[in-house]
Amino acid sequence: MPFTATPLVAGDAFDQASRIAAEADAGLAQRPDAAAEAAFLAQCWAQVVELGWPATILAEEDGGAGGSFSDLAALAGGAGRAALPLPLAAACAVVPHLLGAVPGHPLLAETAAGAARICAILPGAATDPDAPPLRLAGNNGTLRLSGQVAGAEMPPDPTHLLIVLDDRLLLLPSTTRGISCVVAQRIDRRLAGDWSFDSVPIPSDAVLARGEEVERRAEEARDLGAVLTCVEATEAAGALIEQTIAHLSTRVQFGAPLGTNQALRHRVAEMYVEYETLRGLVGAALKAVEQADRDAWRSVAFAKLRLGHAGRSIAEAAIQCHGGMGLTDGLPATRLARRLIMAEYDYGDRFFHARRLLAAKRH
Amino acid sequence: MAEAIDYDAFRREVTEFALTRCPPEFRRLVAESRKLSRKVWAPWQRILFEHGWGAPGWPKEYGGTGWDHRQRHIFDEVMAECDCPPQYHHGLRHIGPVIIAFGSEEQKRRFLPGILDGSVWWCQGYSEPGAGSDLASLRTTARREGDEYVVEGQKTWTSHAHEADWMYTLVRTSKEAKKQQGISLLLIPLDTPGITIRPIATIDGWHHVNEVFLDNVRVPVANRVGEEGQGWTYGKFLLDRERLGGANVAPILKNLGRTRDLVAAELNGEADRLKREMLDQRLLAAEAELLGAQALGQEAIAAVMDGRPLGLLPSVLKLSTSHAMQRVSDVALDVVGERLAPRFRRVDAGGPNAEAPGIEWVQNYLYGRVRTIYGGSSEVQKNVIARQLFGF
Ligand SMILES: Cc1cc2nc3c(=O)[nH]c(=O)nc-3n(C[C@H](O)[C@H](O)[C@H](O)COP(=O)(O)OP(=O)(O)OC[C@H]3O[C@@H](n4cnc5c(N)ncnc54)[C@H](O)[C@@H]3O)c2cc1C
Repeated sequence: MPFTATPLVAGDAFDQASRIAAEADAGLAQRPDAAAEAAFLAQCWAQVVELGWPATILAEEDGGAGGSFSDLAALAGGAGRAALPLPLAAACAVVPHLLGAVPGHPLLAETAAGAARICAILPGAATDPDAPPLRLAGNNGTLRLSGQVAGAEMPPDPTHLLIVLDDRLLLLPSTTRGISCVVAQRIDRRLAGDWSFDSVPIPSDAVLARGEEVERRAEEARDLGAVLTCVEATEAAGALIEQTIAHLSTRVQFGAPLGTNQALRHRVAEMYVEYETLRGLVGAALKAVEQADRDAWRSVAFAKLRLGHAGRSIAEAAIQCHGGMGLTDGLPATRLARRLIMAEYDYGDRFFHARRLLAAKRH
Repeated sequence: MAEAIDYDAFRREVTEFALTRCPPEFRRLVAESRKLSRKVWAPWQRILFEHGWGAPGWPKEYGGTGWDHRQRHIFDEVMAECDCPPQYHHGLRHIGPVIIAFGSEEQKRRFLPGILDGSVWWCQGYSEPGAGSDLASLRTTARREGDEYVVEGQKTWTSHAHEADWMYTLVRTSKEAKKQQGISLLLIPLDTPGITIRPIATIDGWHHVNEVFLDNVRVPVANRVGEEGQGWTYGKFLLDRERLGGANVAPILKNLGRTRDLVAAELNGEADRLKREMLDQRLLAAEAELLGAQALGQEAIAAVMDGRPLGLLPSVLKLSTSHAMQRVSDVALDVVGERLAPRFRRVDAGGPNAEAPGIEWVQNYLYGRVRTIYGGSSEVQKNVIARQLFGF
């Protein structure tokens, strides 16, 4: 029996998410251009809202299902098997955790119901080198927001922006005057926005919270996002190895399946070792987060650091093993590879997490 | 005795030409690592042609420069250093020399001028869905009917077929016991009835390659190069001529320099210090590999000029340069990935600024994966090396 990946968190939720992801992948393949794909992603988003995914870990009194983080990890993992291009980690974990600064905030329930679709912007968001980063400035007692954020992952047609800047948590309707957005698809087909803020006045009720708690929550939210990204990418890697093995077992050159060549068998064995060690680390990080260990951040940082390296090397090996096919947009394996490459940049790349770890070791 | 060539003076002459005659807008495209197309390559070829430099590698009698290998190498190097577009290779470096070596006088008269002045565009139809690394297993057939061949089959990965006029292609003209036999080389105009060209979308979002379907395509026997059944030999001839291709490291070094500038420009804050240092180290390692390849390239040129065999040098060059090239593009991705990989393609398509500035770093990283796949994949090169090292 050829290799089949063992899910980090198995179960019905995982199976359901794998199925939805596979259907979405097939549906996207039929869309002719980016605009049609974006419209289709909006339908996919409505479908997962209907299934209650964004409500998974919300408390019941906030309109949620009161599930565990592990339930969410099962969904993220299943979605990862076909690189479902939806912002699951952001919408289901990062946004609720930030909003948790204001217990009972009505937007929680609206998020769960899909009426609110929120784009979260964490500290240190990317900006173009020639563009001003986000900045708050006081002017006659009115706070104003200016600057640019490049390529922020977002749900379809975002209704709000939830921004952590300095020690403030800001909530702004996306239609606020002075805010503009250019929508793009990332290399993993998810939606992202280039947001520009042109001296946008911030009314006092737009500042949801302020102080150390905001900073702490932002860090925790980033780690929740990072660990879910790792879970999802690990399952993507597992699926990618399965697909690579299937290709090498059926593609015949020189009168024999490619998989009979030791060079390629070893390359797949290397992919597998990378994947297994990643899976080990990610499993540990997931457990640490679920148990709310004091040092959970460290496990998350190591897992994400490892994802940077392992994800890219698995993606590159898979492309190489597929030959010219690996260079085509139409191949599911290529799409998984692009997701793995992209996943590194979500919630801090390998250098970001290396810096955190080194800083902690110095102290 | 022939006059000794002053290579330094030659280098100066080529540099002067490159800097004054290559349109600045072309040089800008190259400097920004943009994708090129016939729209750029053809006029540039025309400029070179008018200067008498259309075909650095061809003999003088066919309109070539008659340069020796060192001069040709210097020419390539200077062109890369000055950000001139590379000459498009399918006519000039591939089918042109094959026609010169094996074509009829009529074919030389008919095909060489259009290649030389850049007015006729060629693509290569070798690979098929079932024949990649194992090219000799190709199955597209050409059945003889009077003074025509009737061609049936499918080619794939045909680069730039969508902007080409002609395709040179390997087809099976008879079924021999040994699969390298019974293959012939045909020249097919792409507007012949029965040809369908379909784009293949590639990982970088660009249109480079195509599927070419051949359904009852009638090709005059006069369009066969050389003898029937000898196509494989001509293909091998072509590969042998291309064996020095890896010696030109200049474009990669140039790209490395650009990537180093990118690191310096984008990672200039104190918070970026660790990342900057790590990336600079990776670039140095790639540079070391490339400088080694460059030295080997000089050795290869000297060997060719002295008539010595090249041995494993071409495989070594191909492996190390393709690897180094990928390492460099990997660094570039690490610099810009977070802000540019999310902006792969605009959802609202149009508009003058539809593409995020710098997105070619991401596209080139993705497309750069091809370096270890085409032109003899890394695995195939390693097999060649190992077979010779072990002697079995
Ligand atoms: C962008 C692009 C442009 C191209 N342009 C052209 C063109 O213009 N004209 C044209 O004719 N072709 C073109 N090609 C095709 C190219 O030459 C083939 O992709 C190449 O020959 C590899 O074949 P394949 O893709 O079928 O891979 P496969 O042969 O299926 O190989 C898949 C993997 O198996 C490995 N492998 C194969 N055999 C062995 C072995 N014996 N031992 C160990 N490993 C092995 C390969 O290295 C590779 O990693 C292009 C391809 C691409 C992707």
